[in-house]
Amino acid sequence: MNDVTTPILTLRNVGKRFGTNQVLKGVDLDVQRSEVVCLIGPSGSGKSTLLRSMAFLEEYDEGEIHINGQLLGWQSISPRRRASRSRLNQVRSSLGMVFQQFNLWPHMSALGNVCEALVRVKGLTRSDAERKGRAMLDKVGLAEKADAFPAQLSGGQQQRVAIARALAMEPSLMLFDEPTSALDPELVGEVLQVMKQLAADGMTMVVVTHEMGFAAQVADTVAFLDGGHIVAKGAPRDIFHDTEHPRLQQFLQNYLDRNAFWQDLKETPA
Amino acid sequence: MFDWPTFLESLPLMAQALVVTLQTSLVGLAFGFVIGIAVASMRLSPTPLLRRLGGAYIFVFRGVPLLVQLLFIYYLLPRIGLPNIPPIGAAIIGLALASGAYIAEIFRGGFLAIPHGQLEAANLLGLSPWQTLTRIKVPQAIRLTLPALVNEMILLIKASSLVSVVGLADLTRVAQNLAASNYLFLQTYLVLALFYCLINIPLAGLGSLLERRLGRSA
Amino acid sequence: MMFDVSIITDRVEPILHGLLVTFQTWFAGVLIGLVLGLGIAVLQLFGGRWLRIPLRMFIEVIRATPFLVLLFLLYYGGPEFGLSLEPITAGILGMGVYGSVYFAEIFRGGFQSVPKGHVEAAECLGMGRWQCIWRVQLPQMLVIILPALVNMITILCKETAVLSIITIPELTMVLTGIGSETFAFVETLLVLCIGYLILIELSSRLGLWLERRVGRFLVRS
Repeated sequence: MNDVTTPILTLRNVGKRFGTNQVLKGVDLDVQRSEVVCLIGPSGSGKSTLLRSMAFLEEYDEGEIHINGQLLGWQSISPRRRASRSRLNQVRSSLGMVFQQFNLWPHMSALGNVCEALVRVKGLTRSDAERKGRAMLDKVGLAEKADAFPAQLSGGQQQRVAIARALAMEPSLMLFDEPTSALDPELVGEVLQVMKQLAADGMTMVVVTHEMGFAAQVADTVAFLDGGHIVAKGAPRDIFHDTEHPRLQQFLQNYLDRNAFWQDLKETPA
Repeated sequence: MFDWPTFLESLPLMAQALVVTLQTSLVGLAFGFVIGIAVASMRLSPTPLLRRLGGAYIFVFRGVPLLVQLLFIYYLLPRIGLPNIPPIGAAIIGLALASGAYIAEIFRGGFLAIPHGQLEAANLLGLSPWQTLTRIKVPQAIRLTLPALVNEMILLIKASSLVSVVGLADLTRVAQNLAASNYLFLQTYLVLALFYCLINIPLAGLGSLLERRLGRSA
Repeated sequence: MMFDVSIITDRVEPILHGLLVTFQTWFAGVLIGLVLGLGIAVLQLFGGRWLRIPLRMFIEVIRATPFLVLLFLLYYGGPEFGLSLEPITAGILGMGVYGSVYFAEIFRGGFQSVPKGHVEAAECLGMGRWQCIWRVQLPQMLVIILPALVNMITILCKETAVLSIITIPELTMVLTGIGSETFAFVETLLVLCIGYLILIELSSRLGLWLERRVGRFLVRS
């Protein structure tokens, strides 16, 4: 199961509809061990839905998703029967999820957030869990904030705690759903730094992001989604420089224009 | 098994009692409404003494169980020289005094929700305090608190089941009498519950409809 | 009207016993109501349509029915469906059922107040549904629903007075009993009023204290 050639995550013809609205249309994707895949695309392109499907937070209703060779969320495909919760949890146990809104539990300290699932799900003793939790907080640079409650932390710190919480469960795959979109601009860097370190340590990651710089620097593969399809996929260089695809060119141009606009503002004397 | 003949026989009595229950609750609510506006105005008055009095009223009439308030009226009013109050009068006084305290709290919220600028405008245009209260504050407060007032009405109709302690033949008392003579306790009390449900469930529906309306327009 | 203190001081023991019964029925009723209410709310949220509709009807019917009528149904009607209860058992059960529908509505609102993402985070970490309710949702919503819970608990305190009508010897029954025995209605009813005011005031103070304690670490920035 751990040999290098089998993908950790495979998506085959994955589709999802909300009512009459087909949000995902036959998405295929393979993610190899230690690969970093960034999903980019305009809002409404289905990239967040795709990522959430990979954790079965959205029930994809066409195709198959396999994690480490195990079918995610469904007991059988035709007819589609939902897997039991314990089965779902077992498949999910190899992935960690990081949300746009952090979703830390406000009634628990940073350490409490990290330890909760270690104690309740993995069955660690309180002291083992705390040792491990502190190590994880140290890894994201927040060892001294272990006893702080989420309300006492900045957005960037909260997101780093959320990353530590997911990492503590020792997932083989980390999913990030726009992890920096809810942050003030000056706090984005510290979170991206942690993610870069993770990538450098060999973590397999799928990241939905608007941070093109991060995607260009860190990703092995960038996939561009539009209208529920992956319309372009390749190495960052191919996607950002050598693309012929008109929708992708337009998307990147919009992105550049917006940044140029900010650049102009900065240079305009007050 | 359900005894239909007995049920049909009892219907006229229950219908009469239903009228008594509705009359008592509605008249009680109407007086409670007036008391509520007065007490809410006291609670928000600039005079500390009035504020205290309003607060004390709410504390007492919300804190003491309605049953005990009704016992007070039944046993003590005759002692202070008001011997000839008919049961329906005593019941209405009891319900009005108690609901007044709850309505006062509802109205306090309603009054506070009115933008202060409107009251300044009324003042500048020369409206008297009484005119401001009746023309500006009360109509708006009613609109803002209508769902809560409907809810209060349901609570009051339910609370009126206790007025038999002052000797009034309301729904509950009549059902009690019927059950004591026909020995069909379960059936009689189920019918009684049904009567209350037939009034209160539509009212509750109206309340949540108003709430949704208000939520949309606000 | 004179206030004869001896009417009360001569009968401290039965009055205290009545107070004890009031406390017993109140606590037991609240406890049953909270457990039932939480159960109803959880089943409503997670139990699917076939549970949701009957539960909704149950809530609407109980909320439309006066507490006294519910007591009559249980106590006098009970034997006809094989449920012969002592007055005090019927009273506690009635309080529990009556309170449960209001508690259920409070809990339901509480569950809806917890951001969906917090539940998703727990799911992704492999926590079970019950673990998620118990460890993530309940403690979080407690701050929001505590005032409503305390309010309902004080309402149930006042409802214990109604238990006197089905002959449960609680405070109201004991004091009105003394009143009709001695014709000292002023004394007995005043003591009764003051007794309830103290109970209500104490429980709302306790509620405020709890709110402060629970709210201390949950203040959102």
